[in-house]
Order: sequence, then C-alpha cells, then structure tokens
Amino acid sequence: MELGHISTVLVMGLTIGCIYAVIAVGLNLLYGTMRMLNIAHGDLIMLGAYTAYWLFTIYKISPLFSALIAALGGAVIGLIVYRILFSSSIRRAKSLGSLEGTSLLIFFGFLILTENVALLSWGADFRGYSYLTSVVTILGTPVALNRLSAALIAVAVCLGFYIFLQRSLFGKAVRAVIQDKDATQLSGVDTGKIYIFCFGMAFAMATLAGALISMFYAITPFIGLPYTMMAFVIIILGGLGNILGGLVAGLILGLVITTVVAYTTPGFSFIVQYLIFILVILLMPQGIFGRRAR
Amino acid sequence: MTLKAQTLTIWTLILVILLTLPLYAAGYYISLLVTILMYAILAVSWIIFSGYTGYISLAVAAFFGIGSYMTVILWPALPFPLIIILGGLASMFFALLIGFPCLRIRGPYFVILTLGLSELVKYIFEIYEVHVKGVTGTILLGAPSSEVFYYSLLIIAVIAAATAYFVKNSKFGIALFSIKGNEEAAEAMGVDTTRYKLLFFSVSALFMGFTGAAMALRWTYIDPGVVFNPLITFQVTIMAILGGEEDFRGPIIGAAILTLISEAFGIRYPYHYMALLGITLILLIKFLPRGLLGAIGRLHIRRKGYMVNRRFG
Repeated sequence: MELGHISTVLVMGLTIGCIYAVIAVGLNLLYGTMRMLNIAHGDLIMLGAYTAYWLFTIYKISPLFSALIAALGGAVIGLIVYRILFSSSIRRAKSLGSLEGTSLLIFFGFLILTENVALLSWGADFRGYSYLTSVVTILGTPVALNRLSAALIAVAVCLGFYIFLQRSLFGKAVRAVIQDKDATQLSGVDTGKIYIFCFGMAFAMATLAGALISMFYAITPFIGLPYTMMAFVIIILGGLGNILGGLVAGLILGLVITTVVAYTTPGFSFIVQYLIFILVILLMPQGIFGRRAR
Repeated sequence: MTLKAQTLTIWTLILVILLTLPLYAAGYYISLLVTILMYAILAVSWIIFSGYTGYISLAVAAFFGIGSYMTVILWPALPFPLIIILGGLASMFFALLIGFPCLRIRGPYFVILTLGLSELVKYIFEIYEVHVKGVTGTILLGAPSSEVFYYSLLIIAVIAAATAYFVKNSKFGIALFSIKGNEEAAEAMGVDTTRYKLLFFSVSALFMGFTGAAMALRWTYIDPGVVFNPLITFQVTIMAILGGEEDFRGPIIGAAILTLISEAFGIRYPYHYMALLGITLILLIKFLPRGLLGAIGRLHIRRKGYMVNRRFG
C-alpha cells in the first residue's frame, strides 16, 4: 500500500469517526441513564440533516449555524417526546429494566412515523448541496473544508460535554444516575430533572450531527438506521456512560469502515457496517474498555 | 352446550365458510383474503416465538425473503407445493444457523440484532444480484390461479394456528412462557431454555419461509428490496401486538384489521398509512400493551369476575 493511500484512509476515517462519536454520545446518554435504546436515534440525524439542507437551499443559511438551530429543534422534540410518552411511565415503573422492552417498541413506532412523515414531505430522492467545498491538505491528503469543520465541531462538542460531565455538579449527578439510579435518588438528586436533561441533550446531539453530515453526504429519509447501528456499536465498544471511550471507539470504527470500504466497492459499505455491528454484539458485548454496556 | 364444544363449533363453521368461499365469492375478495392470510400466518408464526418468549424478533423479512428466493431459484423446475416446503425448510435452516449465536443475546440487544441481521441479509442479496447475477430482480412466470394461492395459504394458516394453539397448551408453552417471565429462574428450575428458544425460533421461521415461497409467485416480480423490505417486519410486529401476542387469535384479528385499513387507503396513500401505523404502535404500547384480546379479556374479568384466556399470562 502506498503512503498516500494510507494517509487518505487515515484522514477520512478519523473525520467520520468524530461524527460517529458525537452520534453515540446521545444514544449513550439515554441508554446509560434510563436503559432506553432509542432505535429512532438515526432518524433524528435524518431530521437534522433535512433542517440544514432546507435552511441552506432556501435561505442560504450556513449549515454551521443551522447545526445550532437543528440542535435546538432536537432538544424541543426530545422534551416533548419525554413529556408525552415517558415521564409518567418512568415515575410508575418499579425498575428501569421493565421499561426496556416497551420503550424500544415506542421508539420503533417513532422511527416508522418519522421516516414516513419525511417521505411524505420531502420524497425519497437523494438530496445534497455544496458548502465549504474548498480543499485543504492534511498529511498530503486533500480534505474538503466542510468535512474538516464538521469533524472539528463534533470533537469540540464531545470534549465539551465530557468536561461538563466531569466538572459540573449537574454532570456529576448525570454520571451518578448512570452508575446507580436508586443510590443517586437516595442522596437527594431529582432524577426526573436528569432524565429530561438527557432526553433533550441526546436528541439535540443527534440532530446536530445530522446537520453536520448533510454538508458532505447525500441524504434521504432512510439514512437513519445504519447510523443508529454504528452508534450502538460505539457504546458497546466504548462502554456505558463513557464519553471518552466513545470518542476512541468512534475513531477506531471510522478507521475500520473507511479501510474496508477503500479496498472493496462502495456498494459494500452497508454490508461492512452491519457485519461489524453483528460481530461486535455477538463477540464483544463487554466492549474494549471493560465495563459492560448491559 | 359446554363452552369448549361451543368454541369448537364456531371454529368449524369459520373453517367451512373459508373452505367454500371461492365457490361463491368474487375474485376481489379472494385476493384480499390471500393478503390477509399471508399476514395472519406471518403474525401467528411471529407470536409462536416472540409472543410466547418475549424475545422480540425483527427478522421477519429475512425469513420471508429467503423463502421467496427459494421460489426464484426453483420455479418452474419443481412443483409449487414442493417449492413451498423447501422455502420453509431453507428459512428454518437459516434460523438454526443464526439462532445458535443470536439467542444468547437478550433484551433490547436481541431486538436490534435481529433488525441488523435482516438488513444485512437484504444487502447481501442485493450485492449478489448486482455483482454476480448482473441483473436486479426476477420476473416469475406461469403463476397458478388465485384459488390455488388461497387454498395453499389457508392450509398453512390452519397448521400455523394449530401449532400456536398446541404449543401454548403443552409443556412447550409452559417452558416458553417461563422464559418470558424470568429466564434465569426457568433455567434454575431445569428448563433447557436454549433448546426451546432455538426450536421455536426455527419453527416460526419455517412458517415465514412457507409464506415467502408462496407469495413470491403471487407477486411475480421479486427483488431484494421487495421481499426483504423491513416494512413487512414492521407490519407483522404491529399486527401481532395490536391483536394480542399471547394467543393465536390475536395476530389473526390484527392482520385482518390492518390489511383492511391498508386496502382501504394504504395503497393510494402508502406513506400516510405507514405513518398511521407508527402512531398506532406508540398508542398501543402506551394504552393497550396486551393488545385487543387482552383488553377484551380485562373487560370480561371486570364484568363476570372470572379470568378468560389467561393460562400463563
């Protein structure tokens, strides 16, 4: 393999890995605090991507700015979904484990609903736009500026959220809920507040990631599920509630997928993604950083 | 007449009506019934594993599609009934193959794993058609008449429903429902949970394979996007949960209701229909988690003070 090729794979893999990482943070938050597996996580990415797409094509608003709008929109959706569908059942549930199955099916319904509303409103065509397409050279590899800025924002969001979790009192409470919900409640933390926060945050991060992705990938109403699967692989590998582990796992996954795809035809990328997903669940449910995600 | 004799009479009557229907009903109703029967078989076979054990499998489309592809390969070289049987066996074999590693995984991990597997199978068939065969899609010619489909599916449906009934009312049922209740406890009591899960995962795949093999000829144009469509899985799951997933009558009721709704406006407005399905699922889980049958059963309990149709529930 020639050197140029290696650096291309490296740069492409790491940039997409950063995006994977920020997608996984949201999924991680919901599964970590509430044992809810949001199978519709990828569909929020899709909604964020369409937000950025329409704001750019109609109003010429920079996707970097629409990412913020998308995040806000995502947070609002998250709050509404939590209020309407989950807040009462969480209060009534004896253990969070009993909610696992029902919440999954509710999110499944949400997935079907979102995808088809998107299809109704925007059709099934591939959509894309060009923004920040000028090229910079890193390690001798040309990278489009949109991809680079998306990756940098993703890393900044991950690290920012990591610092928030580590340093602030509220972040500490979130980590405590991930470790032991009952003990946290006993020590006087209002877990309801933590749940609302996590819902808003998880949805916001997904829609934000979607807006970033729309800058360099074509979007359709169906792009969601593969991202959900990838995010799921990352939280298994990186560990539950472990943001830095997720970042590392995201980068590794980005590299692996890019490498495999570079040596096969692009049509194989879905197969590669689903294969990795299945193998990780079957073979490495413990993750690479020890703590079980289950 | 005792309660048992009464239900037996009702079922015989329904069966006689269904058997003689092609003699006097218009062709349109036969076609409609073929669709209802297809979904009813899929939903009934879904509950045999997922409804009874609580392991929610989202791999319906994979088993259906594998059955269909047996028809693509074997038609018209072999007779129709033989193809249906081979299609079922192919799906069953695939279920045994993936069931062994997958059934160790529990809870939401299992659910999302089966969905991922189903999508993987779809993409593998797509790649195969694009890169190996060179053409996407196959047109199947020389399909039998509607009546042949109708009777074939009716036979499969009766066998599936009978299987679901007898499994529930046998020691298998007790074993499967104990897995749903508490798998560790069941294991500790000496239930060989792995064997039962694997057995009924593949039995349910067998019926889905039968249906896929039969419907392939009915649909005439087959490509991976059609027969591995996750929408098949979504609809079947929702039908089973809508009707009630712990009794064979539930999925049949669910399949009939949703097929009729889909027929009324799902064909002209497919996305509206699917969006409505999504909302239905959310509302069902929120307000009727035991399905229509469960709700009716609860009403009975409230009125008459005895338990109806809850042996292990």
